[in-house]
Amino acid sequence: MGQTEMTQTEMTQSENSSRERILERIRTGLRTVIPEPAALASDRAIVEPVVLEPVIFEPISNPLERFQQECVSNLMECALTADSAASVRQLDEVLQSLPDGEIFVQDEPSLRRLVETAVPRRAIRWSSQGAPAEASQATVTLAEALIAQTGSILVTAACGGRGASVVAPCHIVYATTVQLVPDLATALGRASREGILERNSFACVISGSSRTADIEKILVQGAHGPRRLVVILERSGV
Amino acid sequence: MSTAAQRFLQDAAVKSADLMHREIIRRGMDSYDVAHLKGRARIKDWEAARQKCQEIKREAINHVDRYLLQFEEKVVARGGHVFWAANSEEACTYVKNLATRLGVHTVVKSKSMVTEEIHLSPVLEKAGIKVWETDLGEFIVQLRDEPPYHIVTPAMHLNRGQIAQLFRDKLDPSIVSDDPRDLMAVARRKLREAFFAAEMGISGANFLVADAGVVAISTNEGNGRLCTSVPRIHVVVTGIEKVIPRLEDLAVLWPVLATSGTGQGITTYGTLIGGPRRKGEADGPDEFHVVLVDNGRSQLLADAEQREVLHCIRCGACLNICPVFRHIGGHTYGTTYPGPIGSVLTPHLNGIAEFKHLSYASSLCGACTSVCPVKIDLAHHLLQNRRNATQAGATKSSERMMFRAWRSVMLHPWMYALGGWSARTALRVLYGLGLAGSIVDPMRVWNRYRSPVALPSESFRARWRKGLGSN
Amino acid sequence: MQRKVSLFVPCFVDQLLPEVAVDTVKVLRRVGYAVEFPEDQTCCGQPALNTGYWDEARPCAEHFVRVFKNAEVVVCPSGSCVSVIRVFYPELLAHSSLREDAISLGKRTFEFSEFLVKVAAVTQVGASFPHSVTYHASCHGLRELKLREEPLQLLRQVDGLKLVEMIRFDECCGFGGTFAAKFADISGAMGNSKADSVNATGAEFVTAIDPSCLMHLQGILGKRRAAARTIYLASILASQAPANQAPAQEKS
Repeated sequence: MGQTEMTQTEMTQSENSSRERILERIRTGLRTVIPEPAALASDRAIVEPVVLEPVIFEPISNPLERFQQECVSNLMECALTADSAASVRQLDEVLQSLPDGEIFVQDEPSLRRLVETAVPRRAIRWSSQGAPAEASQATVTLAEALIAQTGSILVTAACGGRGASVVAPCHIVYATTVQLVPDLATALGRASREGILERNSFACVISGSSRTADIEKILVQGAHGPRRLVVILERSGV
Repeated sequence: MSTAAQRFLQDAAVKSADLMHREIIRRGMDSYDVAHLKGRARIKDWEAARQKCQEIKREAINHVDRYLLQFEEKVVARGGHVFWAANSEEACTYVKNLATRLGVHTVVKSKSMVTEEIHLSPVLEKAGIKVWETDLGEFIVQLRDEPPYHIVTPAMHLNRGQIAQLFRDKLDPSIVSDDPRDLMAVARRKLREAFFAAEMGISGANFLVADAGVVAISTNEGNGRLCTSVPRIHVVVTGIEKVIPRLEDLAVLWPVLATSGTGQGITTYGTLIGGPRRKGEADGPDEFHVVLVDNGRSQLLADAEQREVLHCIRCGACLNICPVFRHIGGHTYGTTYPGPIGSVLTPHLNGIAEFKHLSYASSLCGACTSVCPVKIDLAHHLLQNRRNATQAGATKSSERMMFRAWRSVMLHPWMYALGGWSARTALRVLYGLGLAGSIVDPMRVWNRYRSPVALPSESFRARWRKGLGSN
Repeated sequence: MQRKVSLFVPCFVDQLLPEVAVDTVKVLRRVGYAVEFPEDQTCCGQPALNTGYWDEARPCAEHFVRVFKNAEVVVCPSGSCVSVIRVFYPELLAHSSLREDAISLGKRTFEFSEFLVKVAAVTQVGASFPHSVTYHASCHGLRELKLREEPLQLLRQVDGLKLVEMIRFDECCGFGGTFAAKFADISGAMGNSKADSVNATGAEFVTAIDPSCLMHLQGILGKRRAAARTIYLASILASQAPANQAPAQEKS
């Protein structure tokens, strides 16, 4: 942190006279003891000695299949590829379907290989050069993980930044099946343990293309974010 | 009667009779009902999910100071700023001063009910700052210069024809199509200019995650993402009650919020932001500010019966199911938060004398209690607000007198029987003279919408005594 | 010795809808119960309770508890009144010397259909009612007393009755007690929406376990000169075929 930022923080904290007053009001309020709800108390009486955590979500036996199903209902495209050559062909196909124009790509060795093989002639802006241009036709990034339960991709600032998953009308994710985790609990637990939010100022669980139902509750695909979210899912070796 | 109550009665009368309005709302709610059931089917044990969410929020609120401090420490360590605002004025002043100090001319806003509550936009606009609502529904009501109709779907009271006309009037006279996709495209083009020109993005927060020190924002459109990625300053305005203990809590809160709010399995973007852009990141705001708004919430902590009202995750499910809401719509309430949660909460935030009528404007059907994903017993709290109002002396003394008389009658069976007989007889005479519904008819309010009750010549107890009583 | 129940008749039923209670007695006797009616009863206190006047409701509730203190079982033809006794008396009388009596009484007080199905364990009461009927799920019975299936189980056993389901059968009819007076326009609108649902089924009758709902709905339907009429559940169950017909068989 630079000298200026430090001063600003200190200044803001010391100018915040309400902070102590609010904390004091909170502590006073919390001194009121709330009796345990009657319902809870009587439920306990009839529960068996060994209490199992109730299963809220159906356990997922086939994460790949579930992920693919969820992609369909999330209006996402998921293309399963056998190897990197097939992935290159898939990427090429998607990019051919888009209008001419610059694409923004996360600067990372596997993506450099993928993109440079697939699109020798399109203008490319790399994430190491900064934010994506407003007129980008597509962005290409990796993901931290794929979540089968909800058909989601987990991206962080390290995946090309914040704009990479929202600025362009098409967002392409290059992932491998080894990145699949069964559910949100696993993904978030891992994110916690690995300190993902200490290393990144931003993360996002993305479950589809942008959409709105604000007009007559009719679903419109493609609102302010991407209209297309494509996952090129390459089978991992082994 | 307070002016708010009078206005409510007038607006309710108009809206109750507005069949076109009722039809639009009914179609919207039917669509929600179908989606909601589908969403529920994705969750194996819905009751267990509700129970878990209730426990998470109960733990969070019962230790709200500890979790807020944990959250603040992490955000500040990353170079973010946390400002604690006691009330609307402090919150607005902070944001306004920040904007003017940092040379902000344009603000893009993603949906935040707290910013409505504190009336932030007018304060910024008075300081010469242009504010763009970027959530499609909010954008629409902003163009109409009216408040949001519903906390999740702000423009659900309008049909596509009205929206197309609005866009023609305010944005582009050449608009022909009223197809929702084309209307969205118009809004996208217009707002994209704003996203890329604005110096400041303002968002709300669905949750403040204490152990990770991040704000969690659930959106579908991508406008919240753009507001928090493109402009160089990001300000979060949130209530102090939004805090949750752990990142893993989102594993159940996110699906439950989405299911209750829109019927989705999960909202399209579950964004987690813990600070300004870090060194090495490709983009992101240089400044990150979180404004924690109290505005009456800390007082609710002391209320042993109603502290749980702070568990609300603002999903809107209670609005959707409420038959009163379905008949009068969101604007009639005249408050930031309409529907059952609004009726329960507003007297606490804005005073019981002025807003108790909202707690009375309910048949206490209990549907709200049955759908609340964090198991707030809303119907019961409406009743408690009524009791609190009478005990605070905020109700009409004539009404209290009437119930005192009622009590005396009910404590004396002979008085009750005689009173009943007299009333029936008098009404029969009145109706026999053709005076049903007239100014002298004590049942004229009843008779406005209903045919008169048939008046029996004998009460049940009279018949019992006359022989029905022998088994 | 014959089994006995004490009858609690809501004040508005006693004064305005006596046939509701008369038919309740008829059915209870038919399934083998002697009925006693403690004449000192007046009102459970709901109007004052729901309007927030708990100080005025409390003595009324205490009077009720005293009147029924020694009753073995109390049966009442009203879901909302029973929910007041079972769900709200403990809170209303939290500091009263009669608190324990109230809690115990709440456990022995049953709504009419609840009593038949869960206590008397009968669903076939020898009723005949050859008409089309739609069912409105009154709010307090449904959400406070959790009575979802019981009234339907009874209706399904009625000879000749054609049960038709209405859309939004569990949406509030809009009566709500003093709500109907204070917010007459909203109450009227809700009632009309419910009447629309009833009319859409084409059923001749609409029934429920709460006569207050039915009183409100009858007024709405009457004003619209609708074909459908309201009828309380016990009145359907009290209805019988002419004497020379064989008793109805238990339907599976």
